[in-house]
Amino acid sequence: MNLDETLRMAFASLASNKTRAFLTMLGIWIGVASILAIVAIGNGGKALVIGAISSGSQRNVIQIVPRELVAPGLPQPGQVLSIDDSDLAIAASFSGVESVNETFYGTAIVQSGDKSDNVTLFAGPADLDSLARFVVVRGRMFTPEDVLSHRNVAVISQSLANKLFGSGNPLGAVITLSGVPLEVIGVAQPEQASLYSLVMGSDNLYIPDTTCEDIFPNWTASEMDVVAKPGINVQSLANRIVLALNIHAGDPSAFADSSGLLASVAALIGKVTTILTAVIGAVAGIALLVGGVGVMNIMLVSVTERTQEIGIRVSLGAKKRDIVFQFLVESMAITSLGGVAGIATGLAVGVLVRVFTGIPASVPWPVGVLAFVFSASIGIVCGLYPALKAANLNPIDALRYE
Amino acid sequence: MIRLLGVTKSYTVGDQVVPVLKGIDLEVHKGEFVAVMGPSGSGKSTLMHIVGLLDRPTAGEYELNGASVLQLPPNHLARLRNQNIGFVFQNFHLIPRMSALRNVELPMVYAGVPRAKRRARAMELLEMVGMVNRAHHLPNELSGGQRQRVAIARALANDPAILLADEPTGALDQQTGGEILRILRDLNAAGRTVMVITHDRNVAQAGQRIVHIVDGEMVREEVLHEPR
Repeated sequence: MNLDETLRMAFASLASNKTRAFLTMLGIWIGVASILAIVAIGNGGKALVIGAISSGSQRNVIQIVPRELVAPGLPQPGQVLSIDDSDLAIAASFSGVESVNETFYGTAIVQSGDKSDNVTLFAGPADLDSLARFVVVRGRMFTPEDVLSHRNVAVISQSLANKLFGSGNPLGAVITLSGVPLEVIGVAQPEQASLYSLVMGSDNLYIPDTTCEDIFPNWTASEMDVVAKPGINVQSLANRIVLALNIHAGDPSAFADSSGLLASVAALIGKVTTILTAVIGAVAGIALLVGGVGVMNIMLVSVTERTQEIGIRVSLGAKKRDIVFQFLVESMAITSLGGVAGIATGLAVGVLVRVFTGIPASVPWPVGVLAFVFSASIGIVCGLYPALKAANLNPIDALRYE
Repeated sequence: MIRLLGVTKSYTVGDQVVPVLKGIDLEVHKGEFVAVMGPSGSGKSTLMHIVGLLDRPTAGEYELNGASVLQLPPNHLARLRNQNIGFVFQNFHLIPRMSALRNVELPMVYAGVPRAKRRARAMELLEMVGMVNRAHHLPNELSGGQRQRVAIARALANDPAILLADEPTGALDQQTGGEILRILRDLNAAGRTVMVITHDRNVAQAGQRIVHIVDGEMVREEVLHEPR
């Protein structure tokens, strides 16, 4: 008996009891779909983290901070921030360095009319947006001219704008920082899907470094942003600069590369995501196992129901392997169809997650292929016992079975 | 064609051995129409299962077409059954989910006959038993007599030398039963060997020879020179 004919028979048999075939298939369907959806979301989470790392390296920016301040953030009380002009000069002397900038961080209170808010203040050059990783979504970024002229202008984050101005237009409004009025010229949002944006607060105020020095004359830089030339090995350059700065400071741990810390945090998050995906995937695997048991159960029922048919087939010249094959193909058809439906559903869930949450959920194609092969194998494993049972029936008893 | 020598069959129930056939010697020649007759429980069905290669005797010898078949492996027996023996059962035994046509095709499916050829042959056989206009009906849409006609067409699918009929009219009224017997006689007249198992003398008289079995033993043989 050939495969074509066996398949035809299997589908005819499944079609004769559609509800049952569908429900049995549903077990495999749900199992495969949940595994794929979990893999898709887990993968998306990882891609997000990896994206955050690579977005840092693409920009060739090395963030160097005093060791006490290993993460970009707020200065601790009593902390000595020790980046000065000589440190900047050392970094700038490396041949792979394009430019060196200092940025200031700190907490401050801004006021607008009767409203005030605690904000994180960022001060830097005109390319602060790329250094601090935000994009201006309304209005404009301050220009080099603004910086040179010490203009009292500010870019505020979207969430700060919402707090101070509600739904009103913040552009052109005036806010006060330490008694000094600043004109709001732009509204900013963090760069998409950046780990940096998670580490940083959400109520942010960005001003030119010159303006900042006017307002806070005694404030020193909290971070040195070194931009590497294209094609330079950023990590090795970072290590060399940090080493040179530490020698200059006379303390082997005076400075640190905070982007390295960011990368290690990202790697850790990636690892955790992988473990979580595996654990939840294993739970979903139990669903698939239960589905497989359902298939075996239904195949056993089917063999019992069709005992007489099996006897008839044997009397017409069916060999044992014809009978085994018939039932195996039937159970494989159920699980393969369930597998295909499950893969389609899992991929669809991935697409929905991508559209609605922005997590770049995706299923690598080998996982899809594996899911299909696995569900077909469930058909073999769970169909084998019922099929052998069918083939080993005594044909005379089978013919008499009512 | 069929030669049984000292065939016995016994079943073990608990620690008791129950003999069903007690040494049957039977010879059926090519082109014969033989009726095996006996009351229920006489072992005639067991005899048919042995002749039809569905069951193995406890002891004895069975030659089919001059070759001993009892030592053959199961797959070989399946092929012999597929090619040489056509079964007609009392309860028709059509597969309920399959149309008349698909039922008739089934033995050819197991023989590996290509689809188109199979279909043509099945239609030809249904034509012969007068069922061609019911080819696409399911068994439960057919009357008893119609089902038995389909079953006969199916039994003939691979053009077997022997037709084995177990109470072929047992589930039919007298008139329909008579029609089925006429078909069997016509097939025999066309050269096919037919063996009918029955408890009904009217059916047995369709044959040229009646073999009487009682309690697993052949008790009498009756030759009808002029079959009714």
